[in-house]
Amino acid sequence: MARKRAFIPPIERVRDGYLFNIGDDERQLVARLLTELSQLLMGEADDPRLIRMFPPAYHLADDADADAEYQRLMREDLVASRLSGITAVNAALQQPGPVDEEAMVAFVQAINGLRLVLGTMLDVVEDHDPDDIDEDDPLVGEHHLYNFLSWLLDWAVRALAEPATEPGT
Amino acid sequence: MAPTPSPVEVGEIAIDDETVPDRPWIVLVWNDPINLMSYVTFVFQKVFGYSLEKATSLMLDVHEKGRAVVSSGAREKAEIDVFRLHEHGLWATMQQDD
Repeated sequence: MARKRAFIPPIERVRDGYLFNIGDDERQLVARLLTELSQLLMGEADDPRLIRMFPPAYHLADDADADAEYQRLMREDLVASRLSGITAVNAALQQPGPVDEEAMVAFVQAINGLRLVLGTMLDVVEDHDPDDIDEDDPLVGEHHLYNFLSWLLDWAVRALAEPATEPGT
Repeated sequence: MAPTPSPVEVGEIAIDDETVPDRPWIVLVWNDPINLMSYVTFVFQKVFGYSLEKATSLMLDVHEKGRAVVSSGAREKAEIDVFRLHEHGLWATMQQDD
């Protein structure tokens, strides 16, 4: 029988994988945001919200040609990798039981992708204070989403760092 | 056995070294305000197989010094490393080592 616990983390390492201890509303919210991210990734390549998703590979001015070549060859792979990750995560979010490590790694990548887009829209700067939210800000919803996703990501990374729980412990 | 190069040849090799194409490339990760410190540490462990200690130390370098060299090698390898870091959303770039 499960012991009573004062706090149940939203994502937890269990014996046979990782468990999402979040409600259906939160699962659906994440799935919807990820679907929107997929659409964004398949849309205009120069959408400013995507700037952090596709950084330059060669930052020196002398290597500008190499960077253009990298973007030409690799951007499509990067989009494909992101899209397949999102598909895997949305499938994992539908299942009630534990998910495997591969799905959890895809989850942290996808959630971080959402944070990159939201952080770009919110113009998040160094020493950003997540609690400093102006309720009159038109992007107040995005601020709350950003904080929610940061919280979720942090727990996911924690769960990934933990060894599997032995039965009965 | 290979002949011992004359001093003149050694000198030429040293000068040519400036343009040798296989001078190693370094992969840098830059500090950014969005990526969580815990996530960056996780990515270094995952992508490079680094220990928690090494990954944490590199993450702190990125955070405190603005950037850190996270790997180095041939250009093709560096490009794969950069791509994998981009897949994880880190701000990674590469340059040929000085």
